[in-house]
Amino acid sequence: MRLVIDERRCKGCNLCTMVCPYRIFRPGTKPNARGIVVPELDRPERCANCRLQALYGRTLCGMCQMICPDQAISWVEEKPGEARKVAIEF
Amino acid sequence: MTYSDWLRADRLPHIYCAGCGNGTVINCTLSAVDRMGWKKEETVFVSGIGCSSRAPGYIMTDSLHTTHGRALAFATGIKMANPDLHVIVFTGDGDLAAIGGNHFIHACRRNIDLTVVCMNNQIYGMTGGQGSPTTPYGALSTTTPYGSQEPAFDLCELASAAGANFVSRWTSFHVKELTRSIHEGLKIPGFSFIEALVQCPTNYGRRNRFRQVMDQVEYFKTHGILVQKAHRLRDEGLPIPADAILLGDLIRRDRPAMGVRR
Repeated sequence: MRLVIDERRCKGCNLCTMVCPYRIFRPGTKPNARGIVVPELDRPERCANCRLQALYGRTLCGMCQMICPDQAISWVEEKPGEARKVAIEF
Repeated sequence: MTYSDWLRADRLPHIYCAGCGNGTVINCTLSAVDRMGWKKEETVFVSGIGCSSRAPGYIMTDSLHTTHGRALAFATGIKMANPDLHVIVFTGDGDLAAIGGNHFIHACRRNIDLTVVCMNNQIYGMTGGQGSPTTPYGALSTTTPYGSQEPAFDLCELASAAGANFVSRWTSFHVKELTRSIHEGLKIPGFSFIEALVQCPTNYGRRNRFRQVMDQVEYFKTHGILVQKAHRLRDEGLPIPADAILLGDLIRRDRPAMGVRR
């Protein structure tokens, strides 16, 4: 699974940067085509839900998705065979 | 299924300001409804007037956007006409406590099988930031420029005194707990009242030293104390901070409910 921010819905309130336990979201720096500063993703492969949602069969943390007032955060299925980066934390 | 199946994707993005907590409460309510496994044809969302009451317009079920303060009266009619429907009411603090105050206490007294989610942003957000009955003492608004000199309504105390079966209070920061409490409220027959304190960055936070959206959510996080902890402090004779927000399931009882098919 892959974490995506829907740029058409996000209004740039940065609440996701506050709640993520992995600090995956960072406040953005430059405005997009709609003039909204969308948060950036910092190594999103660390997200527990991305890695383990399929294994456990349920949403694991999902705080960012629940607190997002604009329903902009979701997880999408990756295509099989797509190259993916794996992060290991010690 | 997730909550996003209940949203009208073609209506999004919604009209709420950046950082408005109402969207969070919609997520929590829809997650709870989704967890109940109800059908979309058997669920009705009712709302009055205000920012919070825009919510049913973004939900893919039958919904009713009614006159100011009368959401509970219309919801009572729906429930009486067809008790098989699951009726959920979205309402704001101005809608519920100010103009619809009598409807609220009488709905609590009758103990109708409704679930009321009150998004309390402590101000009239849509009309330009006038003080509402839940504006805290000393808070600034356009009609209270020197600070509100009236004590605020405690909606949960009001609901429990009037006889609601389930009363709970959370904030827009406590998303998991709010979802769990709304789920409890949907399960319990009788009147369930869930108050969700939400941030209003445009009209409340801007005037009350919460310049960023995160500041007010951080305030909810640091000033909210669980009701169990408040009871423990009271039993030990320790003082409860004056600005503490009591959170948790405050009342759960089993009074006879109206509008339940037996």
